[in-house]
This record gives sequence, C-alpha cells and structure tokens, in this order.
Amino acid sequence: MSQLGTKKAEVDLPVRTKYEESRRQKTGVFFKKKVGWLFVIVSVIAITIFNFYPMVQAFLLSFQSGMGANLEYVGLDNWRRLFGDPTFIAALTNTTIYLLIQVPLMIILALFFSVLLNDPKLKFKSFFRIAIFLPCVTSLVAYSVVFKYLFGIDGIVNQFLLNFGFISETVNFLADPFWAKVVIILAITWRWTGYNMIFYLAALQNVDKSIYEAARIDGASSFQQFFQITVPMLKPIILFTSITSTIGTLQIFDEIVNITNGGPGNATISISQYIYNLSFEYSPDFGYASTVSYVIVILVVILSIIQFRVAGEKK
Amino acid sequence: MNRLKRIFIYTFLSVAAIVSIFPFLWMLTSITNKSVDVTQGRLLPGTHLIENLKTLFATVDIVPALINSSIIAIITTFLTLLLASLAGYGFEIHRSKGKDIVFTILLLSMMIPFAAIMIPLYRMFGSISETAPLIGIDSLGAVILPTATTAFFIFFFRQNTKMFPKDLVEAGRIDGLSEIGVFFRIYMPTMKTTYAAAAIIAFMNSWNNYLWPLVILQSPEKRTIPLLISNLGSSYSPDYGVIMSAIVIATLPTALVFFLMQKHFVAGMMGSVKG
Amino acid sequence: MKKFNLMFLAAASMAALAACSSGDEEASGGSGSEGSADVDEITAWAWDPAFNIAALENAKEAYNGDGDYEVNIIENAQDDIIQKLNTGLSSGTTNGMPNIVLIEDYRAQSFLQAYPDAFHPLTDVINAEDFADYKIATTSFEDEQYGLPFDSGVAALYVRTDYLEEAGYSVEDVTDITWQEYIEIGKDVKEATGKNMLTLDPNDLAQVRMMIQTNGSWYVEEDGSTPNIAGNETLEKGFETYKELMDADIAKIVSDWSQFVGAFNSGDVASVPTGNWITPSVKQAADQSGNWAVVPMPRLDMEGAVNASNLGGSSWYVLNVDGKEQAADFLLNTFGSNPDLYQTLVEDIGALGTYSPAAEGDAYAVEDEFFGGQQLLSDLSTWTDEIPAVNYGLHTYAIEDILVTGMQDYLNGAELDTVLENVQGQAEAQLK
Repeated sequence: MSQLGTKKAEVDLPVRTKYEESRRQKTGVFFKKKVGWLFVIVSVIAITIFNFYPMVQAFLLSFQSGMGANLEYVGLDNWRRLFGDPTFIAALTNTTIYLLIQVPLMIILALFFSVLLNDPKLKFKSFFRIAIFLPCVTSLVAYSVVFKYLFGIDGIVNQFLLNFGFISETVNFLADPFWAKVVIILAITWRWTGYNMIFYLAALQNVDKSIYEAARIDGASSFQQFFQITVPMLKPIILFTSITSTIGTLQIFDEIVNITNGGPGNATISISQYIYNLSFEYSPDFGYASTVSYVIVILVVILSIIQFRVAGEKK
Repeated sequence: MNRLKRIFIYTFLSVAAIVSIFPFLWMLTSITNKSVDVTQGRLLPGTHLIENLKTLFATVDIVPALINSSIIAIITTFLTLLLASLAGYGFEIHRSKGKDIVFTILLLSMMIPFAAIMIPLYRMFGSISETAPLIGIDSLGAVILPTATTAFFIFFFRQNTKMFPKDLVEAGRIDGLSEIGVFFRIYMPTMKTTYAAAAIIAFMNSWNNYLWPLVILQSPEKRTIPLLISNLGSSYSPDYGVIMSAIVIATLPTALVFFLMQKHFVAGMMGSVKG
Repeated sequence: MKKFNLMFLAAASMAALAACSSGDEEASGGSGSEGSADVDEITAWAWDPAFNIAALENAKEAYNGDGDYEVNIIENAQDDIIQKLNTGLSSGTTNGMPNIVLIEDYRAQSFLQAYPDAFHPLTDVINAEDFADYKIATTSFEDEQYGLPFDSGVAALYVRTDYLEEAGYSVEDVTDITWQEYIEIGKDVKEATGKNMLTLDPNDLAQVRMMIQTNGSWYVEEDGSTPNIAGNETLEKGFETYKELMDADIAKIVSDWSQFVGAFNSGDVASVPTGNWITPSVKQAADQSGNWAVVPMPRLDMEGAVNASNLGGSSWYVLNVDGKEQAADFLLNTFGSNPDLYQTLVEDIGALGTYSPAAEGDAYAVEDEFFGGQQLLSDLSTWTDEIPAVNYGLHTYAIEDILVTGMQDYLNGAELDTVLENVQGQAEAQLK
C-alpha cells in the first residue's frame, strides 16, 4: 500500500463550525450504511427473483396434489401422507444415516488433507492436491462403473478380503442392504473430500504464519497446533463446509442413482431420488414432490441452526 | 521420530492419491478400448483410441458444445465471483442488524432441492421469452442468470471475510479510498486465494450443471457438454469407448482450471500483502 | 466510477425484475394457445441416433404428402425428454415444446392423463387396425387414439446354439417352451458348459414384466390405475418362476446395463431373454457370428399363456401446439401409411415397426448370417402379432419400485401371499 498524504492534510484543515462538522459526520455514517446495502443489493434482488419467488410457488404446490397439470388444493393431506408412506420413511432414514456418518467423516478427512498439503516443505504438493481433487471431476458414469466392479462379487475388494482371510466367502456388497449403504457412504466421501479440501486450502493461506512459529517456539506439537490454532482459526470455514455438506448430503442424488439406483429394494434410496421419482419417473405428482422437498428445507434449517449455535457465531 | 512422521505422511498421501486417481485412470484407459472391453472392466490400455475419437467427432458436434459450455462457465464464474464477493464483503464489513437478517434469509435459498423450484422458474423464463429473447427459453442467458447468483458463494465469501484483517479496511479509508475503492484495491488482492477457490468451484458447478440447462435449452446447437454426453449414453446399444472419450474431453477443462488455480494456494501470501 | 457500475448493476436487475413480473401476467393469458396457425417448420424429439433418430431421417426422405414445411429432428435422451416434457407441459408454457415426440409405451397413459389437453388426437388420421393390437391398447386414451404406434418391443429368447449343442439340445428344444422347461435346460447347460443360462438383475423386474404379459396380465387392473397385485395369480406365478430361476443357480447376477451387455458379449451366458432391440448389442461380438439363434419367449406354465411378450417399445405423439396439423400430416404420410418406409427401416437400421401391412415386404425375409441364416425380422414380426394386449396403465414404474422390495423379501424367505398383500397395501397408499 502506498502511503497517501492524508495525515498532513488533516493537520492543515481550516477550522470549521461545529455544526458543519457534525453534519458531515452524520451524512458520512448515513452514507456508510447505504453503501453497505449497495454491496449486497444485486445479489439480494437476483436471489429473490430466481430462488425465493419459485420457492414460494413450490410452497403453495406442497398443499396441492394430482397428476401433472390436474392439480387441486388438498390442504394438509400431503403432509399427512408423508407419515404413512413407507418409501418416504425409507428415504428419510437412509438420508439421515448418510448424513450422520458421512459429513463428519468427510469434514475431518478434508481438514486433515488440507493441513498436510499446506506444508511448505512437502514435496510433490501439486501432484497430491490434484490427485485428491480429481474424484470430483471424474465423471459419474466412469466412477459408478468402477465402484460397481470394485465391490462386485468377483471384484477386487472381495478378492482382497478373501486373500487376507477377513471373510470366508464373497460378499455381494451391492445386493446387501447394509453393505450397499456403506458403499454409498464411501462413494460420497471419495467424491467430495477433495472438493471440501479446496475451501480449507484457500482459507489456510489467510492464517498468519507467525502464530505457528510462536507456537513451535513454545514447544507445541503438531497435534496441539492443529487443534489449538488451525481449527479455531478455520472455524468460519468449518462452519461453512459443515452446512453446505449437510445440504449436499441431504440432497444427494447422483451417486445413488448411478451406483445402486436406490436398491436393493429401497435400502439406499435418498430423499432427492424419491423427489425425482415422484416428479419424473412415476406419473408426475409435483404437489407431493414439493411437500417432500420442503421436508429437506425443514431439516436443513434445523441442522443449520444447531451448527451455527455449536460454532458459537453471534446471530 | 520426525523421519517416521514424514514416512507416515507420504505413505498416507500416496495411498489416498492412488485411491483417488484410480477411477480417473480407468477412465483414461477406457478411451483406448472397444466398447466390449469397457463393459468388461478391462484395466489395460487398448489400441482403439483413434477409432473412438473418429466415431465421436463423426457422430456428435462436440466442439460447439465445448464452446457453449465454456461461454456459460466463464461468464457464470465471473459474475459469481464479482457479485458474491461484493455481497459477502458487504454483509461482513458493513455489518448491521438489518443485513444480518437479510443474510440469514438468503441462506434459506440454498436449502431447497433444485427440482422443486425448476417448474416455476421455467414458467418465469417462458413468460419473458417473447419480450427478452436473450434471456428467454433456449438462450444461454437463461442458463446463466439463476446460477450466477447463489447464496452458497455469498456465504463462502462472508465466512472468509471473517478471517480478513479489518484494520486493512480502516487503513484504506484513512488513505482516502472510497468504500468501493477499498473493496477493489485492498480486499480483492488480499483475498486472492479465496477467489481462486471460488473460481474452481464456480467453474466446476457451471461446467457440470445438468438439470437446468437441460430443461431450458432446446436447440441442439446450444447444447452444453453434459447434455451431449447424456445423449450419447441413451442409445439402446451405447458405445462405451466413445462415451468415455467424450467424458475425458469434458473433464479436462475443469482439471486444467483446478491446476492453474491451485498454484495460488501458496502458504504465507497474506504476509506479503501486509508488508 | 466504480460506484456508478454498481448502481448500474442494481438498476439493471431492477429492470429484469420488472420485466419478469409483467411477463408473468402475459403468460397467464397466453398459455395453452389453441390456435391453429400455419407453420413452416415442425420439430420432432426422439432418442437413440442409431434407431429412432435414423427412423425419423428415413421418414423425412420417404414423406409422400404435399405439405410444405421443414422437419427439424432433435435428439434427446429418453430421460431428458421426460423431464423436458413434464417441466414444459406442467408450467403451461408451450414455448419450446416440440410438435412430435416419442414416448415409451409404459409411460404413455400417464402422460395422456396428466396433461389432458396437451396432446392432439390422431383418431381420424390413422387407421388403428393397421397396427399390432397390443400397441393400440397402450397408445389410446378415453376412446381417442393419440399415439402412432412405432417400434415393436417384441421379446425373444436369444440363445447360444453352440452351448446348447454341447449340452445335447437343439434349437427346437428351446422353441415354444415354458419357463420351467427353460430352467431344466439351463441346469443341463450349466453342467455341460459351466456357463450360466442368463443374467438377472434383482433390482430390475423386467423379466417378471415379460413373464406376466405372456398371460395377458399386468400390475394394474383394466382401468389402468387400480393396483392388481394381491391375488393376481399370474403375478404369483411370475414371482415363483423368478425365484426358481434364482434358486436353480443358473443366473449370473448383474447390477447394471453395461454388465448385462458385457455378460453375453464375453460369452458368459447361454441365453438372453429380452426385447428384440438388443440385436445390435448381441451382434457387437462379431466373433460369435453363427453361434446364435432367436426363438420365441418362454411362457408362464399357465392355461392361456402364449409364447409372445413385450419389453419396452414406444410410439409417436403430436402435441397440441401450433403446427399440429402439419405434424399429423407428416406422421400419416410416413409411419402411418407407407409400407415402403418400413422396408428401408428394417434394411437400414433394423428397426422393427408394428405396422402390419409392412411385414409382407421382402426386407423382412432377409436371412441373417449372424443368427445362422434365420429370417429373424419375419419371425419377430410374426411374434409381435401374438403379443397379448394389456393396459399398461399409469403406474408401471411406481408399482415396480415397490415390487422390487417385495421381491427381495420373497427371495429372502418371506411368504408370497404376505409379500404381495404388503405391496398391494403400499401401492394403494402411495397411488392416490
């Protein structure tokens, strides 16, 4: 930053009346407030048009039911229908399981990778970074084919487990309700860890190096540095990734459709896949599909409030 | 002890890298194989690469699709970065009670599955098609508009701004910069890595976006890459060698953007700006 | 200067907002236009370049009417068409919708009922009697004929003659058999060759679907919407047969399309019971030429069941938008009345139509060397006419998703009656 000659100018200011001085300050404050709104106004308007307006429409839809264009208001029927709908309950249960296991696992892994890959002394840094990022650009088609082969009856995973005596006979992972869920969780984690790592890597650059040096001089171990400096410093970003990953996992669709298509039975179906089925796969009922969508909204809102509270951000 | 730690770290990273790269490598080898070999999960490279590429370029217009996707992704990324960073900065630096409430409401917009708002959105664009064809149905503008402003990136910039040293803003004001000047001259250069990360993600999201371009675009010449690949896979007798070739070509730009941007993730950048 | 830019952006987005809200009013008045205007270009959507798109191109060439308009053929994946149609039709915006669209037969009823005014009836345009009976049932709705029946999804049993021979069987031995006979042969084939008889995907009940249609039954009653699961004897038999196939240990389990194709391309299975559209994929393994034959689909071991069934297949529909007259004219003068077109279709792309007058042509009599000189198209065409007509109704895929769960339970040892009653209950609750 170049130093401008502002200080000098202040000193030489001619004397003004008190009235003028205070007026100037007031408009200054007023202007500052206004200019703050200017920064956000475009986004606020655009999001209102492209998100909130359709969201209100979708909310109205959630009280209607019928096939395709033949919609009529049914009051709270859709909401009642949810609780007696075994497919919805299966989807909700599965999605909750994915969420509880997968999000923490992924956040911790991503954080761990980013700290390792931020080490200036690490060799082949670019290689490792791009390698761990690659899953999220690898095409779903390719990766679902690969996953299906890895976990197939005569796949590598079975052979590995057999050779090392972990199992006595092959497991049909994708046809087993429990193991199919495990494969899905692995697949989501595999695909999105590198994605979250980027946010941490970027944020780590904004952490002042001198803090670590001071800590090292004080004899703090790597683990202490991680928990006492990195985690607290990155808290805003950890909150960001937790909330966006929660949203992402609650809306998970691609992985499931491509790897198990919700099977075996409904053992891996997610809420988003069910919404898709209700809208496009079955005779379309956009009203009920909207109701199911709003279940996701409600869940995310609750979970986000909890996450904001845990992170201790003032609201 | 230290050496042991090094060995552990390199082993751990290498295993993670192999696991991560494996499907990608398989994708690369599969473009050199015949469809029959791909469906059988062949892991070794074959000799069918030229054939696959020839068929690909003969059957689909991949170049126009690449151009469309690039135009959309570049404009979307640019708008996203500009608007979201302005908003994220505004919400954090010019914080006020009113703005905090607005911000919280904005976050709500991330939470609904896109499929649920797609039909009202489509109706909206349908109704302006006559008066404003540039942003109506079947226009690139209609693809860009709803995706260029998302609460996701505003949230991202705001959280990063929390780590931004506020005294730099004061220093800028003292130096006589306008509020906008502070943003462009001080905030932007300081937050280079944040922009780099956002650029990677925004580009990738736009490049891979499927559902919205699918419903809003109609003419084949306006198709984006994911739509083109979806068509390739829909045949009764899909040629997996050709599909994989298209997929690999489609993947390269995002990988390239990541490669270029990650170079900005260099430890200690903040220090140099401060000094 | 920068401030100015920001203000400009804000003003621009305000303008956009204003444009949107005013446009909205227009839409409510202008949607669903019923006017019939002369257009000089019509658009057709279909999927699969090698098949349906090629068929459209051929039709364009063969058009012998006197309309003066351009036909614009656009390729879209099938799932993509479903999403685009649903989004467009339900938003009431006809803008961007095609004039002609291809819809899979299993989904036709649900489109026709979900968007009642969206389709243009062809009752007075085509002669329904010219087409295979089973196609008419699925393409008409409330006494109106909406679809122009296109490709035959006639199911057939593709067999490896060399494997059969090794086990001591001839092609005649697998012709016109029941599934139970098929299973016995399968066991012998496995013993003699070590090869599985077929592939099965426990998440895909296409086999069951084909089985029950051999006896003229479906997942729903005649009305097309009441689930017909519990107490449906044909479906019970289908479930039992499926379990026997599984228990006989003659099936290779696959989990997706590429594994399914991979299995017969690599010679891992001795037969493929599926729709005739699989022919090009079978022929992909050129080294197996001469080792294949195609025979009628096995039937359920029940009184009245026939050796003919269907899997998939689709038909053309005209949307009720400007240009519908031209679209109907185009369909009538191509797929609706032109036997020569069907000759080129089978010669050039192997697409088998359901237009009965076409089957007499020479192209259908061609001997296919890959299948040991069999007159494949002529055979398939004969079987097409024997497919029992059923009303696929509205809920084929919705019910099937519930049935898949039921099938899992049944395979794991649950009582069949209980399983089907559960499915019936769930289906009734879900499909209101």
